[in-house]
Amino acid sequence: MPRPGFVLEVDERTPPLIVHEGEGYRMQRFPLGTRVVYPPDPLPGLRDLSGRIGRALLEPTGDAKPLPELLFAGMKLTIAVDDISVPLPPMQLPDVRQRVLEQVIELAARAGVDDLEIVIATALHRRMTPEEIRRMVGERVYRSFWPDRLYNFDAEDKDGLAYIGQTDMDEDVEIMKRAAESDLIVYVNINLVAMDGGHKSVAIGLASYKSLRHHHNVHTMLDSKSYMDPRPGHSAINDSTIRMGRLLAANGVKVFQIETTLNSRTFPSQLGFLNEREWEWSVKDQGLMMAAKKANDLAPPRVRREFYRRIEGSYQVTGVHAGEVEAVHERTLANLHRQQLVEVEGQADVLVMGIPYLGPYNVNSILNPILVHCLGLGYLFNMYRNVPLVREGGVAILYHPVPWEFHTIHHPSYVDFFEEVLADTTEPKEIEERYEERYATDPWYAHLYRTSNAYHGVHPFYMWYWGAHGRDHCGSVIFVGGEPKTVARLGYRRADSLRDALEMAKDTVGSTPKITYFHAPPIMIADVR
Amino acid sequence: MSARDELKEMARGFRWGRRPLVPRSAEPFMEEREDEGFPTDWARSPAGVFARQAILQGFMHPLVKGELSLRVYGLDRLRDVRGPVIFYSNHSSHLDATLIMCTLPDRFQRTTAVGAARDYFFDVWWRQAFTALVYAAFPIDRGKGGQGAIDKARELVRDGWSIVVFPEGTRSSDGHLQRFRHGAARLALELEVPCVPIAIVGAFQAMPKGKWWPRRGRPVVTLRYGDAIEAVPGETHRSLSVRMQDAVAELFDEDRTSWWDAIGRADRGETPSLAGPAGSPWRRTWEGTRPVARRGEPKAWS
Amino acid sequence: MSTLALEYFRSVPRYVGARTVGAKAPGLIAGPLAPLRLAQIRDPEPPKGREGWVRVKPVLAGICGSDLSTLAGRSSFYFSPLVSTPFVPGHEVVGELLDPSDDLAAGTRVVLSSVLGCEARGEDPPCPNCAAGDVGRCDRVTVGHLKPGLQTGYCQQTGGGWSRQFVAHRSQLHAVPEGTSDRAAVLIEPFACAIHAALRARIEPGQTVVIVGAGTVGILTLVAVRLLTQPGRVIVAAKHPKQRAAARLAGADEVIQPQHTAKAVRRVSGAVKLSPERGQDFLLGGADVAIECVGSRGGLDLALRTVRAGGRVVVGGIPGAGADLTPLWFRELELVGAYTSGTETMPDGSRVPTFDLALGASGNLPVLEQLVGATYPLDRWREAIDHAMSAGKLGTFKVAFAPQD
Repeated sequence: MPRPGFVLEVDERTPPLIVHEGEGYRMQRFPLGTRVVYPPDPLPGLRDLSGRIGRALLEPTGDAKPLPELLFAGMKLTIAVDDISVPLPPMQLPDVRQRVLEQVIELAARAGVDDLEIVIATALHRRMTPEEIRRMVGERVYRSFWPDRLYNFDAEDKDGLAYIGQTDMDEDVEIMKRAAESDLIVYVNINLVAMDGGHKSVAIGLASYKSLRHHHNVHTMLDSKSYMDPRPGHSAINDSTIRMGRLLAANGVKVFQIETTLNSRTFPSQLGFLNEREWEWSVKDQGLMMAAKKANDLAPPRVRREFYRRIEGSYQVTGVHAGEVEAVHERTLANLHRQQLVEVEGQADVLVMGIPYLGPYNVNSILNPILVHCLGLGYLFNMYRNVPLVREGGVAILYHPVPWEFHTIHHPSYVDFFEEVLADTTEPKEIEERYEERYATDPWYAHLYRTSNAYHGVHPFYMWYWGAHGRDHCGSVIFVGGEPKTVARLGYRRADSLRDALEMAKDTVGSTPKITYFHAPPIMIADVR
Repeated sequence: MSARDELKEMARGFRWGRRPLVPRSAEPFMEEREDEGFPTDWARSPAGVFARQAILQGFMHPLVKGELSLRVYGLDRLRDVRGPVIFYSNHSSHLDATLIMCTLPDRFQRTTAVGAARDYFFDVWWRQAFTALVYAAFPIDRGKGGQGAIDKARELVRDGWSIVVFPEGTRSSDGHLQRFRHGAARLALELEVPCVPIAIVGAFQAMPKGKWWPRRGRPVVTLRYGDAIEAVPGETHRSLSVRMQDAVAELFDEDRTSWWDAIGRADRGETPSLAGPAGSPWRRTWEGTRPVARRGEPKAWS
Repeated sequence: MSTLALEYFRSVPRYVGARTVGAKAPGLIAGPLAPLRLAQIRDPEPPKGREGWVRVKPVLAGICGSDLSTLAGRSSFYFSPLVSTPFVPGHEVVGELLDPSDDLAAGTRVVLSSVLGCEARGEDPPCPNCAAGDVGRCDRVTVGHLKPGLQTGYCQQTGGGWSRQFVAHRSQLHAVPEGTSDRAAVLIEPFACAIHAALRARIEPGQTVVIVGAGTVGILTLVAVRLLTQPGRVIVAAKHPKQRAAARLAGADEVIQPQHTAKAVRRVSGAVKLSPERGQDFLLGGADVAIECVGSRGGLDLALRTVRAGGRVVVGGIPGAGADLTPLWFRELELVGAYTSGTETMPDGSRVPTFDLALGASGNLPVLEQLVGATYPLDRWREAIDHAMSAGKLGTFKVAFAPQD
C-alpha cells in the first residue's frame, strides 16, 4: 500500500536528512520542531502499458472519436511530442513517448496516411540533437522519419507560422503553420508537473514569441499563485493558455491529446536511498549513501557532471489518457494529484529547499545561476496550492553552490543576460521594460536558436520572470553554500551553513521561526491550509 | 565539515550500534513490518542444499547414530510417493526435526524444509542462520494467526519443496500426543498434496523438553514412516486432521505390536489412543517416561 | 496453554559481557547481550488451591530503571535470593482482568501494586510490617506458597507485565477510574513510589528541596512534592533539555544542569562552596532535603554534597554503587530509603494506602498523560529496551510495552 505524503516534525529521534545541492547533497541536522514535507510513496505502475495505450487510443476520453476513425488516407497529420524538458531525470528506455508514437504511427500507417510529420514541440526551447531525438522516439521512428518528417519546431521561421486570431483578452495566437493546417494534431505528452499538458501542449508548445509574450510576462507570473495550480482563477498563465487553446479549437484546429503520468520513483536503484525516508534506510542504504557522497565529493567536476548527466529515472507509468484535450487533462490531473499531493497545515516563517542538479532547461547541460533562481524560486517555490509554504515576507533558504558557469552552446543569451542585465538591475518589471524586446528580436540569438542548439534569446527573461512571484513573496532569500559573487549578482544573500543562514534570517523572522523543509525531489505539491 | 565530523554526525544521527528509531510524527506512517523477518531462501539455493546435505550426512546423522540406538522403518512406503508432500509427526523432543531430516531418502532430503517456531528458532542471528542452514527452516509464527507462515509454506510447496510440520505446535511436556492444530490439514487441502505421517517413538524418553542432549546409554529411538494420506474430495480440514492423528496412532500401535495387528485394530477402530491416561498429571508423565524396551533382532535360531 | 512473554533468564556470559562492554557499547545490551528472550511460556498459574488469584491481561507495561539495570547487569547481587529465575519482568502495569475477582468484574481495568507481600503469599499471621500496612517492607517475600520474588515482575510463578498474561492476587489490584487513560494509568505505580518518596522526605513547610534527576521518577517526585508538601523552594537538577522543560512545567522553582547544582543551591542557602581535589564540589550548608531520582553514583554524590548538616537525603531509586558516604558521616546526615509504596501517614495522623493517593490525584494531573513517550509491541523488544536506555537523550520519559499488539 503506497503511503500518503506527510509532514514530519523533527524530534530527537530524527536522523540528519538529505538536502540536495546541485550535483551533490548533504546530510543536514534540522532544529527540533522543523516540519519536513515528504512526498507520497510511488504508486504502482500500470501492468500492461502497451495494452493500456492501445485501449486509450481506441476508447478515448471526452467528446472524441477513437483515433482510427480520425485517420484517413490523404489526410495531413501532424504529431507533436513533448521535448527533452520532461521527464526529469530522463526516463529509462524505452521512453513512454516512443511507445505511444509507435502505436499511433501504426494506426496511421494502417489507415493509409501519407502526409505525416512529427514535430518536437520546443516553443522557444533549444532544438534537440539528433541523438537526443533518437533516444526519445526510438530507433524505428527515427529511421523512418528523420530528418525530413521528424524535426524540431522553429518558432522563428516566419513562413512556418500561422496567425490564428486574438482571444477575448486581446492575446495573439500564432502557432506552427503546418499544425494549424493539419486535419489533425496528435499530441504526445508526459505530464510531469501540474503545469504541463492540457491546452498548454499545442497553444504554448507550438507557439511563437508573439503568442508567448502574452502570458510569459511579469504581471501574469505575479498573478499566478501558483502556476502549478491549474484551477480557474489560481493561475493567470493557465487561464490565458486555456483561452488560447479554446480559440484554436474554435478555429478548427483539431487536437487528439494523449497524456501520460508517471509515478515518483525518481531515482534509479543505485541511488535508491534518495527515494526513501531517511529513518527507513537500511545499513546498506546508509553505507551506499556515504560511499556515493564521498565519491561525489572527491570526483573531479567533469566526472561528477557526467555521472549526474547519466542518471535515468526508474519511473513507471501510472496512467494513459487520450481524446479531447480538457477531458483528458482532468483525468491526468487527478492521477497527478494522487501521486504528488501532500496536505500541509499552515505556513512557515522560513522555507528550506534543496535545489537539485536538474531542471527542465539544463538536460545534458549546465545549471547556470539564472536557472538556479528559476528552479528554486520558480518551480520548487510554486509547488503549492492555495498559499505558499512560507508566509509573505518570510525567508527562503536554498541550498546550491551557484557556480558562475554557463553552457555557451545551449545558453548563449543567458551569459549576456547575467553579465549585462543583472549587473544593472534584478527587478523583473524593469528588466522586462528595458531589455526584453532587444533580446527577443536580436538576430544573432535567433540565428543560434534556429541553427544551433541554443535557447531563444528571450528565454533567460522567462526564467527570471518564473521566479518573480517567489522573489516578490519572500522577504529575504539566502543561499547556503552559494558562491558569493554569483549570488550577489542575483540579488540574494548567502551563508555557509544552515545555522548561519538562520542567524541572518533573524532580522526578518526573529530567533525562533517556524521552519518548513520541502523534501523534494521527488516532486510533490503541497496543499497548504 | 571534515570527514571525521561527517562520520560523527552520521553515527550520532543514525544511532549506529543501536536500534534504528522512528520519529514520533512518522509513527502513524510506518511500513508494515514484513512477517518474513529473517530471509531463509539462501539456505534453499543449490549451494545451501549442498552444504546442508554435507552437514546432515557427514555430521548429524553419524552423531545421532552414535548417541542413540536409532531404528528406522517404513522408508519403503515412500518409494512410490512423489513430492512435494507434507511430512508430519508427533513432537516431543528437539530431536524430532533432526531425526526426520537425517533419515529422509536423498531425493526428499534435498528438497524438504522444516517449519520452525519463529520466537524460538529465529530470535538471534546465529540461531536463525543455523536453523535455516541445517533444516532449511522457514519461520512459523506461533500465536497470532501466522498468515505469513502459511504463505511461505504455500510458496515452498508450489516450488516443489516438501515441508515438515509438527501439528501439535509445541513439544509435548509429558510424552503424550497433544491436540493437533489444523494448519497442516488446511494446507494439505488447499495445495492438494499428500501427508506422510511419521511416528517418533522414544524421543521423549531420550531427550525430553528442557534437555539439549540425549541421555546416556544410547536410548532406543524408532522412526516409523507411514503410508501417505491423500485428502478425499469434499473432505474438511477437521476430518483430515482426525485422520492424520489416527495415522500416527496407528504407527505407534504398529511399533508396539506388529503391522498386522495394528491394521486389524485400526479397521475395528480400536487403535489405542495416544492421549495418555486420565487423572493426575504425574501419571501421564509417568507413562510418558516409561523406558522403551530394547528389542533385539529376533534370533533366527535359538 | 501458553502465552507470549519476554522472559529474563540467568546467563553468566551475558552478565559478564554486559558489565564489561555494556558501558562502551550500549547497543549490545539491547542486542546479543540481553538476557531476555521472547518465548511462548506456559501460562502462569496461581498457587494451587489458593483463593483470591486472578489472571490479568496487561494493556500497557512500563520499562523501569530497575528493569534496565537488571538487564545491564548492574543490579546488586543482594537481589539474587529475592527473585526466582526465569521470570517475566514488568511491574508497572495497567491491565484487564480475565477472571472476576471478589468485587471486581472480569474486564475491569486495574493497576498493579506489585509487591508480593504476606497477603498474596498466604502468610497468616502476616509479618509485623504487612500488618501495619507497610507492604513494601514485607519480611516474607521469599516464603509462603509462592516462589521467591519481591514483586510481580521478579517472580517465576506469577509472570509479569511484559507478557500477554500473568496472575495477580486481589490484594495487589486497584481499579482504574473511568476517566483515566491507559497511558496515565501505567504511571500510577511509579507515581505511588514517587509519593512515598516525597512523604518519606518529611519536608517541612518552607524548606529547600533539591530533586536530582528529572526523568520519569524525578518528574513524578516533583509533582508529588508540590502536591503533598509545602516546600519553600524546589530546585531540580536535570541533564537533558526536554527534562528541564518538563520540570519547569511541573512546578520547579529552579531547573539547572547537574554540574551547576552546587552553585545554585549555594546561592539560595548562602552556603560555602568547596572544591575537593578529586570529586564533585560540595557545600557546607545547603538544602534541607535532597531526593535522588537518578539511581547513579553521581546522583547520590550530588545529593549528599548539597544538603546542609543534619539534612536528609532520600534515595528514591536503586542506588548506583560506589558513592562516597563521607558527607553522610561528616555532616551527620539522615540517609533515607524509599522503596515502592505502601501506606502513608498523613499530617492528620490517618493512614492512607499510597495507591489510593496516587489514584485520587491522577484525575487532575494532565502531565501523567504525556510522560509515556513511546509504546512497543513485545516482538520489538530490542528497540524498546534500546529506546528506554537512551530515553533522556531522546527526549522521551517513559517507554512502555503494549503486549497485546
